Amino acid sequence: MTWSRDALAGKIPVTLVTGFLGSGKTTLISKLLLHPDMRRVAVVINEMGEIGIDHDLVTVSSENITLLANGCICCSVRTDLQETLRDLFAQRRVGEVFDFDRVIVETTGLADPAPVVQTLASDTLLAAHYRLDGLITLVDGLHGVGQIDQQTEAVKQIAIADKVLVTKTDLTTADHLETLCGRIRQLNSQSPIEFIRQGEVDPKSLIDLGLSSSRASLKTLQFLGEALNDAAVADVNGTGRYLGQRSATHNSTVKTLSLRFTEPFEWLSFSSALELLTTLRGPDLLRLKGIVNVDGDPVVIQGVQHIIDTPVKMDRWPSDDKDSRLVFIVRNMELDVIRNLFQAVGAIKSTSLSAT
Amino acid sequence: MLNAPQSASRADQTLSLNMKLLAHHELAGFGGLGEGIGMQLTSDGRRILWLAHESAPKNFSGVDVTDPQNPKLIVQTELPHMKLRSNSLDVVGNIMVVAYQATTVGIKPAGIDIFDVSQPETPRLLSHFDCSGPYSRGVHAVWFVDGRYVHMSSGASDFQPRNPLDDQFYRIIDIIDPEKPVEVGRWWYPGTREGDEAPPPPRLPAQFDTGFRTHNTNVFPEQPNRAFIGYIDGGAVVLDISDMKNIKVVSQWNHSPPFNGFTHTVLPLFDRGLWIVSDECVQDNGADWPKLVWVVDSRNEANPVPIGTFPAPPYDAFAKRGGRFGAHNLHENLPGPTSFRSDTIIVGSFFNAGVRVYDTSNPYQVQEIAYFVPGAPKLSPAGAIQLNDVYVDDRRIVYTVDRFTGGLYILEMNI
Repeated sequence: MTWSRDALAGKIPVTLVTGFLGSGKTTLISKLLLHPDMRRVAVVINEMGEIGIDHDLVTVSSENITLLANGCICCSVRTDLQETLRDLFAQRRVGEVFDFDRVIVETTGLADPAPVVQTLASDTLLAAHYRLDGLITLVDGLHGVGQIDQQTEAVKQIAIADKVLVTKTDLTTADHLETLCGRIRQLNSQSPIEFIRQGEVDPKSLIDLGLSSSRASLKTLQFLGEALNDAAVADVNGTGRYLGQRSATHNSTVKTLSLRFTEPFEWLSFSSALELLTTLRGPDLLRLKGIVNVDGDPVVIQGVQHIIDTPVKMDRWPSDDKDSRLVFIVRNMELDVIRNLFQAVGAIKSTSLSAT
Repeated sequence: MLNAPQSASRADQTLSLNMKLLAHHELAGFGGLGEGIGMQLTSDGRRILWLAHESAPKNFSGVDVTDPQNPKLIVQTELPHMKLRSNSLDVVGNIMVVAYQATTVGIKPAGIDIFDVSQPETPRLLSHFDCSGPYSRGVHAVWFVDGRYVHMSSGASDFQPRNPLDDQFYRIIDIIDPEKPVEVGRWWYPGTREGDEAPPPPRLPAQFDTGFRTHNTNVFPEQPNRAFIGYIDGGAVVLDISDMKNIKVVSQWNHSPPFNGFTHTVLPLFDRGLWIVSDECVQDNGADWPKLVWVVDSRNEANPVPIGTFPAPPYDAFAKRGGRFGAHNLHENLPGPTSFRSDTIIVGSFFNAGVRVYDTSNPYQVQEIAYFVPGAPKLSPAGAIQLNDVYVDDRRIVYTVDRFTGGLYILEMNI
């Protein structure tokens, strides 16, 4: 008679769209709002006035929420994002707004997306009803290289992205784009890069980036990323071609580090090690994704800086590989330091037979 | 150009949380369905969903739901006249039992029909068991899950109630020979039959007096000597039926008064010592609100204790949305091979508040985890959806039906 609920499946996915000032967010959002495939999507924007949608308004259900002709809900942030997302859910719950299936949030230009991630993870109402599906970062095809060189925020936005959209590709040369992609790859070796022009993007390419179910499937592996399976295999002895080595040429402060542990963890020791790491080096821990063997069970971990999402215990292993595998995107940290930390703390078991 | 701002919940809007519509079938224009849903697995591997209609002229419909995204109506039958309704049915193997209730006493036919549906396109009548009488409207609801006994809410030719509202009581019919059904047991609320020694039970205020009648009469293989009865204004009654000729009361629990009566279903969760008890809303526009689903601790049969209610859908959004608003049928963990069974996940139909899914893992703090409220069906006299009954199959596909025109909605739970 028993079967357990899927901890994630019922939550409304939220996609965050971020990007440096002038990278083309407003253009992208304006196009997206009118796309025919945006039915049942709620888009949270900063400023209604910037977006030319006056001709497509159908109804205004409250001062900041508008239904468009294509069935998309456009919602401007009133006080803050937290309040706006709470309000949207409450209105959906009683039928005052359309029952949207997902949310896309435009973050403000300079904004660090981490606080938005924190809002989703720490507000109990939001955490119960929404889940972060993905971070999309827009990179200016014309000025991107310069921004990466000069702006630490731009570096961070790229490093933590689940997908990178390079804009204004019609205004630049193929050589320049190749250089830019090289720089993006150095900061973020795993996430797909897509070229767009004039803000034209298929809404389908912005969704299903995150973990959507605690029932293991092929999609779980896709979410976890190839790096977890490929690069890390050779890393068992610490001598492999871990991805960190690739980043050494330029901007060497940001690296992707892959770790693999064959010995299962106890939850207490794993979480203690992670907590220690986030406490001491949270700002430099840009992104973390992984699957951890906790006493034999698969547990998916993800985090942005010091915010670690609620770990998700999967119903089974998505493949035969039952090693713990973690991918970190870090700033100014070395692989050995992290590996040694997890190995040392992992070796301390909370229940030791030798003591008795 | 802007339209006027929308104020509150609109009946034409579909609402959903964690549920997705796979298909909608209007049943050839006869989309008013009762509270009988059963699923048959045919010998050639098809899944046939059998649906009892709420009122004449249609009797029952069979819908092939093997592919839940592509349901096909394969048979739809007629009642002999307009003063009859079928309302309830159950299927075991290839045997289907259908209830018949007349609009007033004294009308024939009234009782149950037993069909062989081994060829689902052409149901074959095996027998009719007559329950008509000068004080009887016939059968309102049947429970048939073991292939042998039909437990039902029925009148009888020899039963004269003291109050005409109390005409249907608990009867057990043995159909081991489906061509020769025989009554093997009965029980009625003491004091409701003319000539009873017990005094008549005190009635609810006139506007809520819906009778001391049986509604659902559930018996499960986990505990075949117990019948779990929703006795309408008589509350929840559990009977010891180990001797069907001498049925005894083991539990009684009634929230009314002070509540407004109409206990509909008593669903036991055997492994957990709980009953999930649903009311039925029977008045429009929230006039008999609140109609709830209750959690009752039944570990001590002699002393059932209510420990909570399911979080009700918001009154402000639904009470005036059109038609009835409140609890009604639950998916009842039927024992057959095609039924979803869970001792934690409970699915119910709530008229204009749609179909709703609850997690009772913590019985003191039940959570609503999914719902689907279809937009108002075309031509519905209620002006809003009125989901009347729900069935969940072993694939966790949810089938729910409208009381007036909407027909069948097939949904997927994403929980």
